[in-house]
Amino acid sequence: MHNPELATQIIFGIDPVWYAGSLFVLTYLMIMTERLNRAVVAISAACLMIIGGVLTQQAAFQGVDFNTLGLLTGMMMIVGITKNSGVFQFLAIWSVKRVNADPWGVLVMLVLVTAVLSAFLDNVTTVLLIAPVTLLITDTLKVNAYPYLFSEIFASNIGGTATLIGDPPNIMIGSATSLGFNDFIINLAPIVVVILAVTLVPIYLIWGRRIKTDPALQERVMKYRERDAIKDPRLLKQSLLVLALVMFGFIQGHSLQLQPATVAMFGAAMLLVLHILPKPANKQSELVHTTFCDVEWTTLFFFIGLFIVVYGVETTGILEQVAHKVLSLTGGDRATTAITILWVSAVASAIVDNIPFVATMIPLIKSMAVSFGGIQELQPLWWSLALGSCLGGNGSLVGASANLIVAGFAERSGQRIRFLPFMLGAFPLMLLSILISSFYLHWRYF
Amino acid sequence: MNAAAVMDPHPTVLKPTDKISTAARFIMENRYRNLPVVDDEGCYLGVFGVNCLLKLVLPKPVLMEKGLKNISFIHESLEDLHNRFREIEDQDISVCMNTDIATVRPDTPLLETLLLLHDTRTSIPVLEPGSCKLLGMISYWDVGKHILSA
Repeated sequence: MHNPELATQIIFGIDPVWYAGSLFVLTYLMIMTERLNRAVVAISAACLMIIGGVLTQQAAFQGVDFNTLGLLTGMMMIVGITKNSGVFQFLAIWSVKRVNADPWGVLVMLVLVTAVLSAFLDNVTTVLLIAPVTLLITDTLKVNAYPYLFSEIFASNIGGTATLIGDPPNIMIGSATSLGFNDFIINLAPIVVVILAVTLVPIYLIWGRRIKTDPALQERVMKYRERDAIKDPRLLKQSLLVLALVMFGFIQGHSLQLQPATVAMFGAAMLLVLHILPKPANKQSELVHTTFCDVEWTTLFFFIGLFIVVYGVETTGILEQVAHKVLSLTGGDRATTAITILWVSAVASAIVDNIPFVATMIPLIKSMAVSFGGIQELQPLWWSLALGSCLGGNGSLVGASANLIVAGFAERSGQRIRFLPFMLGAFPLMLLSILISSFYLHWRYF
Repeated sequence: MNAAAVMDPHPTVLKPTDKISTAARFIMENRYRNLPVVDDEGCYLGVFGVNCLLKLVLPKPVLMEKGLKNISFIHESLEDLHNRFREIEDQDISVCMNTDIATVRPDTPLLETLLLLHDTRTSIPVLEPGSCKLLGMISYWDVGKHILSA
């Protein structure tokens, strides 16, 4: 199984399959226990893959998906600059004023804003921008913030499922396959809309119908001047222009042979140029430095380490063997395999980080191509993985990074979101979304 | 020369059970920046001052870590702020006193104390080594007075 072209030499005579497999399991366990920072774990494991002789350094670099990294970096930079314009606060305030600050209306509008922003921006960034505004509004209306924050967690993970750039699993799937921005929108956005609408029903029945406030407090929210939230109108115009061009690039890029990373990085570079051009040299350096500080390097290095670890495991042939095992369990039936991937991904993503899970599943699904009659036949399986891994993040507080960010805000505002009570409400709701996805996959692809 | 040389050994103190309204009126009338809060045993608990008053009338999401930095869309009147203050004025100061203020020991070198005063921009409590007993407070005024009269 071991590919001598990719590897140096095996130290201590350990079987590479055992070495890579054990290292992979250990990495997963370390990430799950959260005793050490996940980026440190992934990078250490990646180095051990090379030192242990499973991969050469050159081979390890081949395993790193620079398209995913470039797309993430580019979008982080664009959002980092755009947020300074105040547009996200504007959107949140504008939307809640459309419903006269009615408590249930506010919840629905904030859910919609969160879902739409999450579809086009990173989920963590979205909740970082929306959660503080939410707390301000709930504080003013004197209503319990919990239902709002709970719903926003769901909205960020559901909204992020809709597009190629909405959630890291989708970015990874898009990068590893020939599926483009439009493919994700066409195949995932319709069901995402349905899931979001259905999710609001139990939220209304549990909390929504009971949220009441004083009309005088609603009036205080109505006094907010959303236009004043725009701190830099020039930057706003520049950001909107670049964001529109980037979206156009994502939509058209596939036919022009432009990868999403190129589009996002070019957009980030263009926005930086527009933003710093009129400024003096010392101010330019400061702005560029600040923009690069907005890039989540920890996440990027986590990805790099993980890509190498999974590539190491892949080269030993372990994933191929697992894929054969899965196929024998599902009887080689594509529909059964897709539904199995969907449910396993959902439950796994609720418990463990969905990034390493998807990183492992991608080569595993790819190796099923021969059995199913070609790469094209794998498409429903990719949608199963995307739906399962993104929506599964709603199952528990540790299911997605955005969940923990919102929980952090809740705790700081004195309205703690506890692990078990959250899971008791969230897990059944997540299962409901997976059930809907199962029907959708069956109806649309089989 | 050390911190003990410039401290006020008999500072005015507040009790944790003092009401916010009483403490606020007291610090405003006497133009105190902040005052130490100590329990019945003289154990230092935190400080209450003008910054606490500002915190009390600002929306919570503005003050929290990674909170709302852009609040230019909120336009509140003095009456709104007064009403917000009225909502909490009957609570004990222990709910809003600042417990994160840096402290020094009597033997902390003078320059280190001055640097801390410069960096924190607030009066510094002097605590007995190895205990929470408040020995004194060091303010800009105490330091200025000592330097000028030296």
